[in-house]
Amino acid sequence: MKHRLLVLQMATPVLAILFGMLSASVIILAIGRNPLDVYAVMVRFNLTRTDSLFSILFKTTPLIFAGLAVALSFRVSLFNIGVEGQYYIGAFCAALVGFSLRGLPAVLHLPLALLAAAGGAMVWALVPIVLKLRRGAHEVITTIMMNYIASALLLYLINDVFRDPTQIGTPRVRTPLVAAAARVPSLGPLLAPLGLHGSDVEKLNLLLPVGIVIAVVLAYFLSRTRFGYEVRAVAFNPLAAEAAGIPNARVQFGMFMLSAGIAGLVGLNDILGFFGYLDIDFPKGLGFLGISVALLAKNNPLGVIPAALLFGFLDRGAAGVQFFARVPKEIIVILQALIILAIVVAYELLTRYVRTQRKREAELPVTATPAAEATGR
Amino acid sequence: MSDLFIELQGITKRFPGVVANDRVDLTVHRGEIHAIVGENGAGKSTLMRVLYGLYQPDEGTIAVKGHAVTIESPRRALELGIGMVHQHFMLIPVFTVAENVILGSEPVWGFGRLRMREAQQRVAELCRQYGFVLDPTAEVGSLSVGEQQRVEIIKVLYRGAELLILDEPTAVLVPQEVDELFNNLRQLVAQGKTVIFISHKLDEVLAISDQITVLRRGRVVGTVPAAGTTKAQLAEMMVGRPVLVELAHPPVEPGPVRLDVRQVRVPGRGTRPAVRDVSFAVGAGEIYGIAGVEGNGQTELVEALVGLRRITGGQLLIDGRDVTHATARAIRLMGVAHIPEDRHRRGIALPMAVWENMILGHHTREEFTHGALLNRPGIRGFVRRRVGDYDIRVADVEAPVLALSGGNQQKVVVAREFSFAPQVLVAAQPTRGLDIGATEFVMRQLLAARSSGMAVLLVSANLEEILSLSDRVGVMYGGALVAEFARGEVSAAELGLYMTGAGRTGEARAG
Ligand SMILES: Nc1ncnc2c1ncn2[C@@H]1O[C@H](COP(=O)(O)OP(=O)(O)OP(=O)(O)O)[C@@H](O)[C@H]1O
Ligand SMILES: [Mg+2]
Repeated sequence: MKHRLLVLQMATPVLAILFGMLSASVIILAIGRNPLDVYAVMVRFNLTRTDSLFSILFKTTPLIFAGLAVALSFRVSLFNIGVEGQYYIGAFCAALVGFSLRGLPAVLHLPLALLAAAGGAMVWALVPIVLKLRRGAHEVITTIMMNYIASALLLYLINDVFRDPTQIGTPRVRTPLVAAAARVPSLGPLLAPLGLHGSDVEKLNLLLPVGIVIAVVLAYFLSRTRFGYEVRAVAFNPLAAEAAGIPNARVQFGMFMLSAGIAGLVGLNDILGFFGYLDIDFPKGLGFLGISVALLAKNNPLGVIPAALLFGFLDRGAAGVQFFARVPKEIIVILQALIILAIVVAYELLTRYVRTQRKREAELPVTATPAAEATGR
Repeated sequence: MSDLFIELQGITKRFPGVVANDRVDLTVHRGEIHAIVGENGAGKSTLMRVLYGLYQPDEGTIAVKGHAVTIESPRRALELGIGMVHQHFMLIPVFTVAENVILGSEPVWGFGRLRMREAQQRVAELCRQYGFVLDPTAEVGSLSVGEQQRVEIIKVLYRGAELLILDEPTAVLVPQEVDELFNNLRQLVAQGKTVIFISHKLDEVLAISDQITVLRRGRVVGTVPAAGTTKAQLAEMMVGRPVLVELAHPPVEPGPVRLDVRQVRVPGRGTRPAVRDVSFAVGAGEIYGIAGVEGNGQTELVEALVGLRRITGGQLLIDGRDVTHATARAIRLMGVAHIPEDRHRRGIALPMAVWENMILGHHTREEFTHGALLNRPGIRGFVRRRVGDYDIRVADVEAPVLALSGGNQQKVVVAREFSFAPQVLVAAQPTRGLDIGATEFVMRQLLAARSSGMAVLLVSANLEEILSLSDRVGVMYGGALVAEFARGEVSAAELGLYMTGAGRTGEARAG
């Protein structure tokens, strides 16, 4: 019984992915294709080409940040749906610091841009968290609202205030170019001696190792430090934590700020690592993907890395399938969404099953706190 | 007496590192009240969960009414007529009694329309049949603990149970409520129901049961008829050696006032204050007992004293310092320890490891930290000592505390709060769920702490405990302190009267 549950728990992500592929197969069959062929194309395209491998890593990078940001908030029973808006703001702040300051050395300019991104996102996140802790306004509602505001604000800032004057008259709506000193260095030069070349290799930048390091540091921080201990207590029994003198609100505030700070870095992979300017069409939706990543990772910072990789894999695979298996683009989008949905649903169901089995064994009173549900340890 | 109901044979249930039940045989006859007793961690709750289908035994057979059965789920148990009354009430406070009772097996008309009238009648009928005093239309949130327990019992009866399992039902009750419960149980068996009952209070066990089975470290020591068995015999069977329950209460000259409560007022739900202008003072080397029926403001008073509830009037001083509006953390740092009345609510975080729960509230101490990091070796040493001192039965301190038996969870809380020589101890129901040995141990600890100059506020529903430990006793009723007595001035019976508001009110200190 015990062992069965343990195995099931470990196999949950794999089972969830299989279930996702199975559901997608139905759609593929419906358009008259063989799902096995399509998946074979996807795997071959993704795993046998250097450009694919590096493209996957490039797409993985922002998802690590987004997944970490969401996971951190989940760990203290808060649902930061606002990662999306927070990274818009972060991206803008970084771009602003990047293009408005000139002549700074890179050792100063880049860290400044990163700080601006994290700081801007944190300031943006102050509104929902203060409303939550002071007034009890639900953070899901307020962060979603803040997302809309961030989106509109960004359009305004790019289009009307900071638009690159040299591009006026062209269809390109974007900020001026970021100073070279504020760009995130590419990993290309490091990889070239290994015989790895090409634009996809060049795109890969320092933010990937930075993201991985942050994930490792967070995992250590949450499991070994006093603060991490307080985080667990607040998540698992806020009333007992309060009785132990742990300031619940302060712990939640700290984690939400940490979450927002990391959220601020989500957009930088594209803005400072690749384009070098903030375009009105910069990649969006990464914050929402971060929710799926965090769910799949069980809010474990280390789990975020493989979870983000999976989503990067799917994204790249979609391009290959479209091109080589000639599956229409719309179907690919449906497939992707379906796989994500199926994974999340299957994952939730399995986790819930394991949990109720556990609970049954322990005859726990059913607690309704999202903490117990959202926090995997 | 001859009618066999349950026959367990050779039941073994193992958990990682422990054999919770070791080849247990148990025979229960129809129409009897069968008590199960044993030390904390002896395997009582586990055995009951096996019988109710919550656990599957690793070995052994179960026969119900002479037929071998497998009880794979509580649903199956109910089909077989076996019902369990949950220790932690699983009631929805905003629902009425009847709504709570039918929840999960609602009688419906076509299209799922609820047959509410019928449900109410059924519930009323059940109450009448077994002599339960309960209004089916009352909202559960407004009921006392004893009444909520009755709802839980009715819930099980409604589902057709013939055998009721009650795991420590009296732990949360005051004496009057215990009497009422026992009357109900006697009614039930008189009408052919069967009861299995777990308790650590041997007087209760001897008073209510027909047969008593004693477990020790997972094994059955023996089954004896209650008639003709004495408390001392039972205790010896449980522990394996004679138990003395004599406590010395040496005179201690009270020192300076440590805990000074002046006209304290604490808001309750709605407009009525939960605590109304309560005043008392506890000196160093003194135990001040507060007796009262649950729900008369003790919970709110205790939480206010340790900084977990807002005080809206009056003053609270600890060692002469005004801490009326201080935080829980500040109060803790002044040397105030707190044993909460409900360990699952305020005392422990069930999914966290035993060691983590053991340092909750002490986790910022120097010996447990290395800068921002936790000092795991330091913590491990501390936890090992406490586990030894308090005889906490735990296979692995890395396991979540929910793997401990109820009494051992309580020991974790008590051991933790007694650590690092607190100056003031606010103890609510400190021995709830503890076996006789552990209860005695904790009572001794309280007296030793008193001798060394600690000020103790003891809030308990257990009058015996209050009377044997306290230097002074206050009675709370309706949020006010209605009477105060010096040691030896009052009997349990008199206290009981005051607790129900029937005592003289002339002596009320707070007005
Ligand atoms: N879910 C579980 N996982 C691991 N161990 C468990 C679990 N439940 C019980 N145990 C262990 O089994 C043993 C028996 O526990 P049980 O709860 O049956 O004791 P008990 O007799 O009810 O004690 P108490 O009087 O303290 O309630 C204990 O050592 C306990 O730690
Ligand atoms: Mg028990």
